[in-house]
Amino acid sequence: MVKKADIFKEFCDMKQIEYSVVVPVMNEEENVELLYESITQVLQGMDQPYEIIIVDDGSTDLTHSILESIHGKDKHLKVIKFRKNFGQSAAMAAGFEQAKGEIVISMDGDLQNDPKDIPAMVKKLEEGYDIVAGWRKNRQDKMLIRKVPSKIANKIIQYFTGVKLHDTGCSLKVYRLDLVKRIILYGELHRFIPALARIEGAEITEMAVSHHARQFGQSKYNLTRTFKVIMDLTTLNLFIKYITNPVYFFGKLGLFFNLFGGIVLFSVGYLLQVQKYMLSEVNVLISFAFLMIASGFQFVFFGLIANMVFKTGDKKVGR
Amino acid sequence: MQEQILTPKTSDQKNNEKLVSRVKVQTSVIVTLYNLESDIADVYNSVLGALKKTDNHFEVIFVDNGSDDNSWNKLKDLSAKERRVKLIRLRNRFDESVSFDAGLKHASGENIVFFNTRVRINPAQISKLLKKLNQGYDLVMGWRYPRRDSKLNQIISRAFNWIVRKFSNIALQDVNSGVLATRREVLEDIPIYGNLNIFIPISAAQKGYRVTDEKIEQLPGSFRQSKYVSEYFRRLLDIVTVIFLTKYSKKPLHFLGFFGLIFAIAGGAMNIYLFIYRLFEFGPIAGRPLLLLGALLLVIGIQMISIGLIGEMIIFTHAKDIKEYSIEEILE
Repeated sequence: MVKKADIFKEFCDMKQIEYSVVVPVMNEEENVELLYESITQVLQGMDQPYEIIIVDDGSTDLTHSILESIHGKDKHLKVIKFRKNFGQSAAMAAGFEQAKGEIVISMDGDLQNDPKDIPAMVKKLEEGYDIVAGWRKNRQDKMLIRKVPSKIANKIIQYFTGVKLHDTGCSLKVYRLDLVKRIILYGELHRFIPALARIEGAEITEMAVSHHARQFGQSKYNLTRTFKVIMDLTTLNLFIKYITNPVYFFGKLGLFFNLFGGIVLFSVGYLLQVQKYMLSEVNVLISFAFLMIASGFQFVFFGLIANMVFKTGDKKVGR
Repeated sequence: MQEQILTPKTSDQKNNEKLVSRVKVQTSVIVTLYNLESDIADVYNSVLGALKKTDNHFEVIFVDNGSDDNSWNKLKDLSAKERRVKLIRLRNRFDESVSFDAGLKHASGENIVFFNTRVRINPAQISKLLKKLNQGYDLVMGWRYPRRDSKLNQIISRAFNWIVRKFSNIALQDVNSGVLATRREVLEDIPIYGNLNIFIPISAAQKGYRVTDEKIEQLPGSFRQSKYVSEYFRRLLDIVTVIFLTKYSKKPLHFLGFFGLIFAIAGGAMNIYLFIYRLFEFGPIAGRPLLLLGALLLVIGIQMISIGLIGEMIIFTHAKDIKEYSIEEILE
């Protein structure tokens, strides 16, 4: 039995918090105190109840003890400590799960985002959007190794996901709580939050935000993940277009193979009957055609299985 | 799975029941056995001796994995005498993970020791595992050392463990020993499936629990020989599963997409070569086996990518149930 008082208290807690700021950090001992102070300053200026959720993603330096001492002074801060490093997607997923505010704000823990942008973004959200993404218009990073790859990556992401944003990689974003609770984050999907939001049918917009050069610590970015990113994009592309009916995707693929095989078979018939070729001269071509047709059917069956997967899954998308 | 559970109720015990239920069980030892009638009393006494040294609030759960000898009657005799014994009988012979799961369901202790009599380890040595567990580890795996089973078994087991270590980056010497001690919270946080011996320590380490191993002595005597080649084949499949589980369990397309792309590109290159060959009239291609090989590779490659995509769909639609992280503490 849950006591009535408990329900009431829970109800009050849920009602009370308006803003939740979620920040994943990992080995940011120099930054974390400054980060906390700058966020607190901005949120106190907004004059609504708030919480700051810092997810310690397996830090091995002093980050956690610094957080503990801040938490001792200020109960607005909530610290989630991971057993080990699980990556930014997992950290954001854990923070989102704990978030109680009507409006959820996510940002980086390395002070490159400026919390001062939050009030304007919240205002924009209240114009009727579900997610406002930050756009680092003047990036303070090295031109060649970060800016250029990022520009290309954003173009590719735009093309694959159909979400027209200049900068999907910016962590500073503002969301509505119900969207945050529906978004599914795992693996390295945090890079594609706008695309995931689009799968959920969200209204998306962007806004220019300031961007500072990194003051302390090392950037944890690396360039070798292109392959994984491309694979993730392929998946998202499929999800966005076909998740309610994947048989259409695989069916198209299958139809293509079937048609191709059929055409080859037809031309073989032509070669045999009209051109009077010997059977032994074209038998490889016949096998080729049969292979195409057989695999075409297999793709159709894949599609049917994919549909079954979607129908039995408990994640119902975009409704 | 059908099972039969027997908890002894002598008249003496009924009187004590209230008293007993108040004493919280600290450690549950789950012993799984198959056709062990002659050794049951010995095993129990060694376990008893080992546990009495560390703490007194324990229970021993015997899981009879479908024995067809007199083991069950022997167990019943034992449980009539001993109040700390719980019995579970599986109707058929199942995988180890099934008997472990059955035992776990009826275990009430905070510490769980799993002990498989198949590998013939001196049961008295589980006190070493518990001691190490109390030093602050979350899971302690038994490491058979020195081993006394056949040389062939040892070599295969070593090779297997070497591969598992390479891929999982978890420094365990003997993941398939069948003996481990851990805490209930760890088991509740990780999925138990397939061949449990291998996956429990690996999954636990992946979730950030402190995993280690401890040397335990193997008893001399006769060992059950692996009767089927299929057991070695299963080891191979286990390795594939370990790789998949440790590296790609949330991202099947990263795994299948890689191989799929290699196949598709190889096949595509062959066919493009033939196409150019034909286009510039170097000769006929309809009789070239390369054409068939190229097409086959291309098709297999695309199929692998498709299977990867279906895998991604399965993960995505069930992602709310699969948590990839583990929280140590929350400061509110």
